Amino acid sequence: MNIFIPLLLGLIIGYLLRIKDKKVNVDKPMSAALLLLIFFMGVEAGKVKISAGWLLISSVVFAALTIAGSLGFAVLLGGRR
Amino acid sequence: MRFLAYVLTSLILGILVGHFYSPNFGNLYEIMLYILILTIGIDLGMSFRLKEVKRLGKTALILPLGTMIGSLLGAFLASLLLGIGLKWGLAIGAGCGWYSLTGPLIGQYSAVYGTLGFLANLTREIFTVLGYPVVSKRISKELAVSMGGATTMDTTLPIITKFGGSEVALVAFVHGFILTAMVPFIVPFILQF
Repeated sequence: MNIFIPLLLGLIIGYLLRIKDKKVNVDKPMSAALLLLIFFMGVEAGKVKISAGWLLISSVVFAALTIAGSLGFAVLLGGRR
Repeated sequence: MRFLAYVLTSLILGILVGHFYSPNFGNLYEIMLYILILTIGIDLGMSFRLKEVKRLGKTALILPLGTMIGSLLGAFLASLLLGIGLKWGLAIGAGCGWYSLTGPLIGQYSAVYGTLGFLANLTREIFTVLGYPVVSKRISKELAVSMGGATTMDTTLPIITKFGGSEVALVAFVHGFILTAMVPFIVPFILQF
């Protein structure tokens, strides 16, 4: 199933709830789905032989460069001040 | 902070279970992902108000776009440096710090890159918490918000408010909000290639 289908369905449901002035708390189902999802992701990752060092270094490189890119572009748009 | 501890425990527990027992959960992963995406959609649909976003002015609207483009450029560079396929690298960068969505979305296609997407975006969030107080002294407080990506509407908002002030908090919230609306579309779009 395409990921856009549940997303668009959710957006429509959320919009309909809003115009009908009904509030639904999605925090708990979202947290439960997320924790289970991360557990299953961990299970799949655990099955694969992977170097923890490579994972750590790659994560830091990605985090540092994506932050640098975002900041660089923001400065380009707005000036340093 | 407590939820972050649950998230990390969940990941570590999953890795240990996968490593030692290699269980097969069938398509439970996909079902959970669709439930998560559906709830994210409902949450967005209930809270997104275009009029309120428009009221904040041009910078608040352009900044999230700059954040996304810059993040993709950074991810492009990281992919080249680490020898990772562009599709995976760009998908990781497009997450803009939203680790709980990016990891599972990429994980549908590759467990290794899904885990990397999760950890890289989690690291971005941690770097923002540690780095915003320093960066906001060197460049404009509003522009420094871009380092937090999509997390500026929730997890990194307290640190931004503390060091940037209440006016920056509103910009940070809208910045995070717009990116939160963009990420669930952009990451899957990149993964389709």
